[in-house]
Amino acid sequence: MSRAAAFSPALERATVLANARVAEGVWLVALAAARTASSVEPGQFVHLRIAEGTDFILRRPFSVFRAGGGRIEILYQTLGRGTRALATVAPGVEMDLIGPLGSGWRIPEGAERALLVAGGLGVAPLGMLAERLARDGVAVTLAQGAPSAGRLLARELFEDVCRRTAYATDDGSEGACGFITMLTPELIAADRLDVIYTCGPEPMQRIVAAQAAEAGVACQVSLERLMACGVGACLSCVVSTVHGRKRACVDGPVFDAADIVWEPAADPEVRS
Amino acid sequence: MSAVDMRVRIGALELRNPVMTASGTFGSGREYADFVALSRLGAVVTKGVSTEPWAGNDSPRIAETPSGMLNSIGLQNPGVEAFCAEDLAWLAGRDVPVIVNVVGHTTEGYVAVAERLEREDAVSALELNISCPNVDEGGMAFGTSCDGAAQVVRAVRAVTTRPLIVKLSPNVTDIVEIARAVEAEGADAVSLINTLLGMAIDTRTFRPKLARGVGGLSGPAIRPVAVRMVWQVARAVGVPVIGMGGIMDAEDAAEFMLAGASAVAVGTANFVDPAATVHIIEGLERFCAERGIGRVAELTGAIRE
Repeated sequence: MSRAAAFSPALERATVLANARVAEGVWLVALAAARTASSVEPGQFVHLRIAEGTDFILRRPFSVFRAGGGRIEILYQTLGRGTRALATVAPGVEMDLIGPLGSGWRIPEGAERALLVAGGLGVAPLGMLAERLARDGVAVTLAQGAPSAGRLLARELFEDVCRRTAYATDDGSEGACGFITMLTPELIAADRLDVIYTCGPEPMQRIVAAQAAEAGVACQVSLERLMACGVGACLSCVVSTVHGRKRACVDGPVFDAADIVWEPAADPEVRS
Repeated sequence: MSAVDMRVRIGALELRNPVMTASGTFGSGREYADFVALSRLGAVVTKGVSTEPWAGNDSPRIAETPSGMLNSIGLQNPGVEAFCAEDLAWLAGRDVPVIVNVVGHTTEGYVAVAERLEREDAVSALELNISCPNVDEGGMAFGTSCDGAAQVVRAVRAVTTRPLIVKLSPNVTDIVEIARAVEAEGADAVSLINTLLGMAIDTRTFRPKLARGVGGLSGPAIRPVAVRMVWQVARAVGVPVIGMGGIMDAEDAAEFMLAGASAVAVGTANFVDPAATVHIIEGLERFCAERGIGRVAELTGAIRE
């Protein structure tokens, strides 16, 4: 297993380069943030301050979708107060972030074939990973589920770097009609996979983790939690594991699926 | 730079400046070492430590609220042995006074932690947490009655030679009488306030935003309440007061000192700006220099009434 040596996080003043809607309720913000862009690893995140003042006292954690050339890109869903406010930020505005943070995806030594399984905004931490795997010569399959064809995200990027893509939509407007987890058993069986990476709603990740375990394939999950400090101090973002409660911000957000003690899904709407 | 004397005394404890960290918001300091040279701080106040490991509460554990946040972490900690072996061992070489926050479900629990810490040279002082609102037994249950507070302070006082700070709960009818009770049992200082018990409900799901239902409110939203309580307590007791509650910048820190605090602690602000403590220390020094105040300690109780 290789996991890049942790690069010290720092406060960085970033400038918004672009901030635009890419699908219903989903936005992509590009930030000039040279230090983070050059040091962030796939699966890591930044802790973004939404605005000055005390109206948004907590930063918001966002996975880095892509990074390079001095800029980072973040895919986000306008679910609550913070993300709705973020969607109103115009190019040129300065925001401060802490990054890079967290333990990202691990690429097994000698991996040849990988499956990425994303549900909804679960693609957010997978863009960099798909690019990295492809660069390293790993054959990548992406399975993405969404409510409808128009909500499938970053198709160009994934179709460019993946050997194969498979889609499922709730309304059947693209790919299979139903959940992506209906397709994954076949994708897992069809390939001699070295690793499965998944991010999305926890019930989906839990099913993918079970399917991976059944097939004897290593699986990593990226989990989302409400977070205050982002650096391991406040213990807000804990995840239950077989080794006790771990912090999503420093021990994760990426965990080995086999270590997770799955809990009743937190209502995603609780995030604000 | 100006020649402002930033040193303050908390009983037998001399601090290089009056700014410390609020328990539970700064881990054991190590987590913030990328952002803060710990030797700049007046003191590091650690997360709460119990005899045995505590798992804390279920998630979600936090919620953002107007100018503040609720938390119900529940004093998750690895227990005093692991704390000494890892956190304290790391902190020992950092040239910063270490104040260990002590928690327990029972009086015996508090005493056992204090006894264990007595063997550790790296411990500069104890902060007795009788005010955490997020546990069912112990915590705030001790800090909301004079008898309960007095009993646990008396028991811990008997086993520790270190300066003993008692952290008070604002969730009481009269915080002054609790402060007097712990002073009478030998507390060397009091720190206040811990979080205010609060609640938030998600109107989409009809569920509490915290898994535990209720939690502790912190941040600028509580600052006027905290300043008022520091002002009331400081004039009523003879021991030093450490003030906290929503301090975001140097002027907020000065406000607490004017109300009577000898030192201050920074909590929620660390989440907004991981270097908040250092910025507040620098700002406080500037605040004094600009006003021709030679010693920061002159601010303590300097409110004009």
